[in-house]
Amino acid sequence: MRLQSKLTLFSAASKITILLLLVLLLPPLIHKVALRNTDNRLKEKKDRVLQIIEEQGIEQFISEGDNGAYGSYNLLKEEFISIEEVNPGTAADTIENSLRKVENEVVEYRVLSLTFEMVGGETYLLEIGRSLATIREGGDTLQKYALYFLVAVVLLTVFIDLAFSKIILQPFTLIVKRLQRIGHPGTFKPQQLRTSTDDFIYLNNTINSMMGQIQHAFLKEKEFIGNVSHELLTPISILQTRLENLLSDPTMPEHLLEKLVDNQKTLHRLKSIIQALLLISRIENEQYLKNEPVNIKQLAEDVVEEIAERAEVRDISLEMDLKDTWVLKEANYSLLFTMLFNVVNNAIKYNRNQGKILVSGQQVKDTYELCITDTGVGIPEEQVPHIFSRFKRLHAPDGESHGLGLPIVQTVAQFHKLKLTVNSVLNQGTTFCFSFPKA
Amino acid sequence: MHVLIVEDEVSLANELVHFLSTEHYKCDWADTGRDASEKIAVNLYDFILLDLGLPDYNGLDLLAEAKKLEHDPGIIILTARGSLEDRIHGLGLGADDYLPKPFSLLELQARMQAVVRRKFKVKTSVIPFHNFELDTETRKVGHNGKEIALTKKEFDLLHYLVLHKNRILTRLQLTEHIWGNILEDDYDSNYIDVHIKNLRKKLSAFASTDWLETVRGVGYRLTI
Repeated sequence: MRLQSKLTLFSAASKITILLLLVLLLPPLIHKVALRNTDNRLKEKKDRVLQIIEEQGIEQFISEGDNGAYGSYNLLKEEFISIEEVNPGTAADTIENSLRKVENEVVEYRVLSLTFEMVGGETYLLEIGRSLATIREGGDTLQKYALYFLVAVVLLTVFIDLAFSKIILQPFTLIVKRLQRIGHPGTFKPQQLRTSTDDFIYLNNTINSMMGQIQHAFLKEKEFIGNVSHELLTPISILQTRLENLLSDPTMPEHLLEKLVDNQKTLHRLKSIIQALLLISRIENEQYLKNEPVNIKQLAEDVVEEIAERAEVRDISLEMDLKDTWVLKEANYSLLFTMLFNVVNNAIKYNRNQGKILVSGQQVKDTYELCITDTGVGIPEEQVPHIFSRFKRLHAPDGESHGLGLPIVQTVAQFHKLKLTVNSVLNQGTTFCFSFPKA
Repeated sequence: MHVLIVEDEVSLANELVHFLSTEHYKCDWADTGRDASEKIAVNLYDFILLDLGLPDYNGLDLLAEAKKLEHDPGIIILTARGSLEDRIHGLGLGADDYLPKPFSLLELQARMQAVVRRKFKVKTSVIPFHNFELDTETRKVGHNGKEIALTKKEFDLLHYLVLHKNRILTRLQLTEHIWGNILEDDYDSNYIDVHIKNLRKKLSAFASTDWLETVRGVGYRLTI
């Protein structure tokens, strides 16, 4: 998952959590606040009633014949005020919820109760009430608006976060994009990054400098390969031409000719080793191009045509069973040819007389499998992991092998991103399979 | 045929001069680019063998100079660097062929002859030998007009032997010519013996093949 998506998701998740928490906590909180407000209002009213009583006397509310009680409530029974005479000695100063019956209807009120004594010695109980339904109604409305507001805030901040993180992470996205474009360190070009975020500048500079070092090493290696190539191949070249001139010298005695042929073989071996090592190094140093499409079926047919006579010599049947057409778009034909030639050549070399070789190819899901199966001596199981090691000669019946054939095969396969698998049963045969990726 | 050998390695130049002289080429040798540049300006060479790695000169510049010459000599590049860019550049700049070092002198001569045929428009492509004819153009071999069916490798072998007639060719030289472009694990000279055996069998159906000699322990020779 990309960093920006992660950040946005995290920001959204944290905000939604807070929102949920608020939604859960808000009702009791609002209820409490509403209750407290009501209590304050009840107290204010109490003070005003007491003030009126003080200024105008209790008679204003209670006169003889009223049974010593006063009561008043408004039309919708939302509020009431009552004053009644109680037994002296009764004391109350509370605010609590209680059920009251008003005109045959039971309503729950928040009620402030207070006893007070007049100068005459009578004790009165003052009760001021407000219906709880009214209080809750106010709370519900508040809660609803608070919720709308919160949802709006969350949505707004999530979008702002998204946009902001996109802007902030843009240099980072750029670095990632640049890195994705690089197929090989050789193609990397150091670029500056325009951002005010120090971390990204540090990251970009580090990548630039490390890539620079890799490129430098690659160039050094290239130079080295060039030098080795020139300095070793030149003397070999001199020796080879000198031997050839000696061989064609008519005055050369016959018994010396055979010695010269031996020298020629030894020199050829030295030349082959150097050329094989140079080939591997050059491929690894990306000095070969992959600039032509290669039809795998055609390639296999070309190799088989080139090598068929060698199989005939040993009476080995070389069969082809190539089912589907497959084209590797960016490839190097001559390298692939060398790769396949070496594998089929091994299949001939390590086969028994009258043996069989099958070159088969078919599409498997979205890859193409090219397999070379022989009926040869096979490879002991414990040796299979080592067959691609350089200079590892498993069986060299003629003693001429330099042990670099399979390393070349592996290097070319890796260069083309082919998956190479080897299955072998001792004394029964070996199968090499190349899995060609989708182009 | 007048050949200029541009090569800074004295020993190699000596071997080249020796070989080409016995093949009746008239050879000049330049060991520096400057020397070569002067020589090509003065003399009309039919052929220039050019080593790209010269101490004082970019070999490709020299190639460009040679390409400007009016009489259009055949040019073969010889180089030990053998990098891909060199090859592409060299052929792109108009060299007729490219031979990476180390090369066989026989291969060089074969390439030179091919260039000469192409360049100087040799009319006939048929080489006659012992009542047989070998057509390098159509790649066919016949005996008094009757065609003999040869495989590709058999034709290549016979062609090489005819080209280097009266000379011993070792099995290794023949192998390198036939399979040389492929870098393989080892070389097996037995294949050459089998090809020669088959070749003799096919040709002797028409006439004796005594002229294709086996030189014991060394190789083969086609005498004319």
